Amino acid sequence: MIVGRRLFISSATFSVAIAAAYWLTSREIAGTFLLGFMAFALSFAAGYMIVAEKDADLWGDDGNATMADAADQVVGTYSIRSPLPFWSALSLTALALGLVISPALAILGGLAALVLGAAFIMNSR
Amino acid sequence: MTGETAPTGTTTAARSDLLSWMTTTDHKRIGILYLVTSLVYFAVAGALSIVIRTQLARPNAHIVGPHEYAQLFTLHGTAMIFLFIAPFALGLANFLIPLQIGAPDMAFPRLNATSYWLFFFGGLVVFAGAGTNEGAAAAGWTSYAPLSEIKVSTGLGQDMWIVGVFLVSVATILTAINFITTVFIYRAPGMTMWRIPIFTWEMVATSLLVFLAFPSLAADLLLLFVDRHFGGHAFDPAHGGSAVLWQHLFWFFGHPEVYVLILPYFGVVSEILPVFSRKPIFGYTGLVLSAFAIAGLSMGVWAHHMFTTGSVNNPFFSFVSFLIAVPTGVKFFNWIATMWRGSISFETPMLFTIGFLMNFLLGGVTGVMIASPPIDYQAHDSYFIVAHFHYVIGGGSLFAIFAALFFWWPKFFGVKLDEVLGRWCFWLLFIGFNVTFLPMHWMGIVGMPRRVFTYADAGALPILNLIATAGSYLMVVGVVAFVVNVIVSARRHEPVGDDPWGANSLEWATSSPPPEHNFTRLPPIRSERPVYDMRRAKGDG
Repeated sequence: MIVGRRLFISSATFSVAIAAAYWLTSREIAGTFLLGFMAFALSFAAGYMIVAEKDADLWGDDGNATMADAADQVVGTYSIRSPLPFWSALSLTALALGLVISPALAILGGLAALVLGAAFIMNSR
Repeated sequence: MTGETAPTGTTTAARSDLLSWMTTTDHKRIGILYLVTSLVYFAVAGALSIVIRTQLARPNAHIVGPHEYAQLFTLHGTAMIFLFIAPFALGLANFLIPLQIGAPDMAFPRLNATSYWLFFFGGLVVFAGAGTNEGAAAAGWTSYAPLSEIKVSTGLGQDMWIVGVFLVSVATILTAINFITTVFIYRAPGMTMWRIPIFTWEMVATSLLVFLAFPSLAADLLLLFVDRHFGGHAFDPAHGGSAVLWQHLFWFFGHPEVYVLILPYFGVVSEILPVFSRKPIFGYTGLVLSAFAIAGLSMGVWAHHMFTTGSVNNPFFSFVSFLIAVPTGVKFFNWIATMWRGSISFETPMLFTIGFLMNFLLGGVTGVMIASPPIDYQAHDSYFIVAHFHYVIGGGSLFAIFAALFFWWPKFFGVKLDEVLGRWCFWLLFIGFNVTFLPMHWMGIVGMPRRVFTYADAGALPILNLIATAGSYLMVVGVVAFVVNVIVSARRHEPVGDDPWGANSLEWATSSPPPEHNFTRLPPIRSERPVYDMRRAKGDG
């Protein structure tokens, strides 16, 4: 993960530099805020990578690793089918569309999104 | 993973098949869904552009009125950018990234499926705006305030545009997070970051851009929505707001979006060129670093779209815009060096890739021109700009899309597309594209503004527009040749092997199409070309 960490640290450093350069050359608030927010987001991600790096032990980072080395690795549980994504997306669309078409549709979409969100969480355990 | 048994009976099986596509969380199927959906949206956006070109074929024509024309170019631009070029790359990446890094699926499969359906419904909502009383949104794909504010754009179509694009932007952000997590965490043993294929690297850079730029669009759309419906004044100068704020927020997303539309296709080109040049890619590290240099610099150039507002620091944005030419030049140098003294063969994917290089070069050169404020002041809002961005996105991304379709079709479906029809498709599109868009440079220079539904019968404009329209019809024939090719190849159904091109990256180590679990066995990964290494070990390199 050292490459990922370097990627985020260098991106964060670059964004801090460009935000500072922009402010010094233009004194313009909107653009500086946007660049500053970008610097904050990247710094946050870089900080997370530095902390997460301590526990990360990935076979993908070992250039000499073989498939046999990773034979007992648990990479997650994969379900190839789930109705939740379709209905969640539909309910979120109903919620957003309801805001411009009909409050009833928005309420219905919002309630459905809440129920499906809960199902997502329950299903992930 | 578990296999599933289809119920017996044709109707039940068909219903079950439809249901299986609606409920799938398999990254390959989601990839195919993205590709098919984005191609359908492309067909609609292309049809709209033909109406636009037909309207402009002759001066003072009235095939459509000015308001309908504004709706046409708004939907055309929105669909091409938000619903075709970018989502096609997401589809390609969905299919390829886990295969290229030796992973069983994406990191978050159900989130991945949710992202697709949000994109699908978002697109439908954008188009559905055309069915409302006052028609679709008509403020352009940039939807500048105050044009998009409720006082001017009173119809429901503009609201549906906001909702649809918002849903698509949320879907894109979620997908980007999924891509980054998958590449960082789920690489197969031995697949270090410096061994992942260039396409996957380009998608990491693209995802980073999406992660940073799209929230700005989402915020912009929310502010506009509040302005329109809840009495906000964010973009209303009469009440302390600022119309320029819309442009800042929009272009902070909009310019990186240009690179979201092109970086994945740099990856496609970088995958195809070495295969048909029979050489390793030249300067792997340079290509990767230049992608991140382009991504980083692209976050600092947004206001070169706002030179003429007089409220931004033109020298700063001009300088950073010029800088982007450097890493882009590195890429071009590496691509040419990859072909240099290679054993080049000109199958259809390679033809489209060379078409990409030629068109994108012209688009890039005019981009450097208009990065200069004095030139931009002349070219701004003219057809010169239309020509420039169509050469970048149409001549660049579109040609790479066709290259990708021809190159990975055997992996998607287990059959190759027909070569003869493929060559027809390429030449019709290449000639048609250049006949359509090259004259637009001159239209812009002689002063034709963009987004006007007609023009005066004077000077060179009528003949230039007529030529451009003829070119667009030729492109339609090229697309029809592709559709015919798909049908012919599907009916012929001649299975190809796992690796029909003699390619390099890991997706070619599995069957065509791949099984649900992706790999029955993985070759050892000891370089960025594991499949080439495998062939060489067998004495077939």
